[in-house]
Amino acid sequence: MASINLMSEIPDEKNKFARTHPGWSVWLRQPAIVALSFVLLVAYAFFLLPSKESAPPLLFYLSINFFIVLVLAFAGNILADNKKPEILKMVVALMLIVALCWLFYRYSGAQWEKLNDFFFNWATLDGNWWILWQGLEVTLLLAFISGIGSVLVGLLIAVLRTLHSPTLNFFLKTYVDVFRSIPMIVVMVFIFFALPFMGISFGSIASTILALSLGYGAYASECFRAGIESVHSGQLEAARSLGLSRWKTIFKIILPQSIPVVIPPLTGTIVAMLKDTAVASIVAAPELLKRARELYTSETNPTPLVAAALIYLAVLVPLVRAVNLLENKLQKRRNG
Amino acid sequence: MKDTETMIEVIDLHKRFKDLHVLKGISTKVKQSEVVAIMGPSGSGKSTFIRCLNRLEEPSSGQIYIEGIDILAPYIDVNLVRTEIGMVFQSFNLFPHLTSIENIKLAPMSVRKISAKEATERAMALLEKVGLADKADAYPEQLSGGQQQRVAIARALAMQPQIMFFDEPTSALDPEMIGEVLDVMRTMVKEGMTMMVVSHEMGFIKEAADRILFLVDGLIVEDGTPDHIFNHSQHKRTIEFLGKIV
Repeated sequence: MASINLMSEIPDEKNKFARTHPGWSVWLRQPAIVALSFVLLVAYAFFLLPSKESAPPLLFYLSINFFIVLVLAFAGNILADNKKPEILKMVVALMLIVALCWLFYRYSGAQWEKLNDFFFNWATLDGNWWILWQGLEVTLLLAFISGIGSVLVGLLIAVLRTLHSPTLNFFLKTYVDVFRSIPMIVVMVFIFFALPFMGISFGSIASTILALSLGYGAYASECFRAGIESVHSGQLEAARSLGLSRWKTIFKIILPQSIPVVIPPLTGTIVAMLKDTAVASIVAAPELLKRARELYTSETNPTPLVAAALIYLAVLVPLVRAVNLLENKLQKRRNG
Repeated sequence: MKDTETMIEVIDLHKRFKDLHVLKGISTKVKQSEVVAIMGPSGSGKSTFIRCLNRLEEPSSGQIYIEGIDILAPYIDVNLVRTEIGMVFQSFNLFPHLTSIENIKLAPMSVRKISAKEATERAMALLEKVGLADKADAYPEQLSGGQQQRVAIARALAMQPQIMFFDEPTSALDPEMIGEVLDVMRTMVKEGMTMMVVSHEMGFIKEAADRILFLVDGLIVEDGTPDHIFNHSQHKRTIEFLGKIV
């Protein structure tokens, strides 16, 4: 163990920039120490971790928690060292995740043997896929119409705000604040369940579209406002000095220039809205989550819920990636 | 009695920004084809003054007559007033999402409602005039500062204004580009355009301006020919200021 030599880390007294503390982190990062600690951790895992039944509770929890602390310290020791190769860090990070999952698997008390029967029992979906498919169609339809609705609401608010009328602004700001503060589900429930008492009733689809358009319209208006404010005030002056009216200035000068700034946050908002269509299951709109819950009840098996989750992922992950790509592209174009 | 010779008449113009009293009663007349330079130390209200004249800033009180018409009257459409007055800014303010020629065509087409063909012809003629016919399809970011300012002048001229305002048109330019912009302005002087120019370009003012208004703290302290202001001024602030910028 020649490399484990603290002497090599002791600074030259003449060097005024040398560290004065012992340099434990440097010492700990030596390959031999890392290898040794890994061996010790594996040994701990095999010989010192209690089996689920045997040990007395206090020692049981102390032992597991101490092991977790050691695992985290070991991983941190490598991940925090910017001299270690990225490939090693990736391996260590994956091992950390596997180790924690393994601990959860071993000690959580879950009945793992039932996993396949209840979570991945695809037989329950035989002949039922079309129900989920219909649900997805409704989800996308809701998102599409509410998306258009919220963009229109947002644009209207943002354009009205450019008039800089204090009275108008007070009411617009109040609207935006209210709808950004109130949970979407509350708005939906209010429209669907409470308004009928006043004699105003909307169907479940209409309630959802209304709630999402009003709510996300408030968010969209903030996206538009940021874009409009990003346009230099000299642009407005130049347009007005040419005799362009307020409206022509907005539609020919301000909005075209704000689009690159507006698009990334706006698409992000629309994606968030697409996720929030799931809330519509509470007002019985026959969208994806609602249909999956129906299947879950009729089959008394949660597999349809897992399927719904996977379908949401399959739709949204590519969309989120696309938004990200668009953002980078617009960013690049703006930077020349 | 309408005085056809007078293009602009300003009577006791005041402008306040909240507590700040920027213009403290400005009165002057500008005749047709007259070139008036406005000079003065920074913060004296030069820009605010000409911005009030086309109501980019709303005056707090006073009267403004353009071609004998009270433009602060309630029945006045300010957009129509502005079509008569071209304005050139220190920071060019070209529309970055449009090419040079589109910048020039925009206002004639959407305000004056002339056809695209006519607007294109007029725009090309103007680009020719400012020496940038080859840059018709370039975007502002592809042009140098001097080129951008020349396009901005062409854009203002496309509305065929009677009056041109220049708000420090060369202050944001590199020295070697100032000449090309001033050359364009000289041709406009020769063509008899009525011009108000906020600038400290001494050479240009000496040869082109008919009058200089010297502003200090929101008031005109001197009003005279360049020769008078530069060589025979008795006013302490004027002499002090000119001593600093020469």
